[in-house]
Amino acid sequence: METRISYFRNKLSITQEQLAQAVGVTRQTIISLEQNRYNPSLLLAYKITKALQQKNIEEVFILQNSI
Amino acid sequence: MIGKHEWFRRRKYTGWGFTPVTWQGWIYVAISILPLVLLTSFPPISQTRIVLIVIWALIVSCDFIDIMIHLPKDERDRIHEAIAERNALWVILAVLIVGAAYQTATGVMTQDISKIDPVILIAVVVGLVVKAVSNFYLDKKN
Repeated sequence: METRISYFRNKLSITQEQLAQAVGVTRQTIISLEQNRYNPSLLLAYKITKALQQKNIEEVFILQNSI
Repeated sequence: MIGKHEWFRRRKYTGWGFTPVTWQGWIYVAISILPLVLLTSFPPISQTRIVLIVIWALIVSCDFIDIMIHLPKDERDRIHEAIAERNALWVILAVLIVGAAYQTATGVMTQDISKIDPVILIAVVVGLVVKAVSNFYLDKKN
C-alpha cells in the first residue's frame, strides 16, 4: 500500500504529531504509514482521509498490485 | 485509582508491564515499594504485618492493572504487542514442554514420579483453557 499522507499533510501545513492526535494514533504510526511500512485498518484509513480533508480513501491510500 | 497512565509507557524491550516516563511515575513506583520495604525490614514479622502486606499487595496490584489497561495504544501498537506476546508465549511453551518431558523421562528412569513438577503441567493446561476461551469469545464477538 502506497500513501500520499505526507503530500496532503504538507499541503495543509500540519505536522505528523498534529495528524496523529487528530486521528488518535502515535506519531510513530504516522511515520510508518508515510514510509509505506504499515497497512492501516479501514477505520484508520477513513479517519486519516477525513483529517486530510479528502473525500475518497483512494486519493490518500493507493493499493498497488490490486486484484 | 492512585497512579495515572500518563506517567508511564508500556515496556517493549525490557520485559512486561510499564516503565515510568515522568517524575510522578518514579515517585509512584518508589511510594508503591516503600510499604513493602518497611513492613518486611524489621523482624519479627507479625500476623498483623502479613495482613498489611496482603492488603498493600492487593491495592498495588489493582492499581497496576488499572494503569496497564489505560495505557494508550493505537492499532499498530496492539498488533505489535500481540505478535511479540505470541512469540514470547511460544518460546515459554516450548521451554515448559521440554522441561516437562525431561522431568517425565528422568522420573520414569528413576521410577520416581514425584520429580514431575505439577506447576508446569498446570501452566500448560491453564494456557490451553485460556486460549480456547479467548478464541470462543473472539469468534462470538466478530
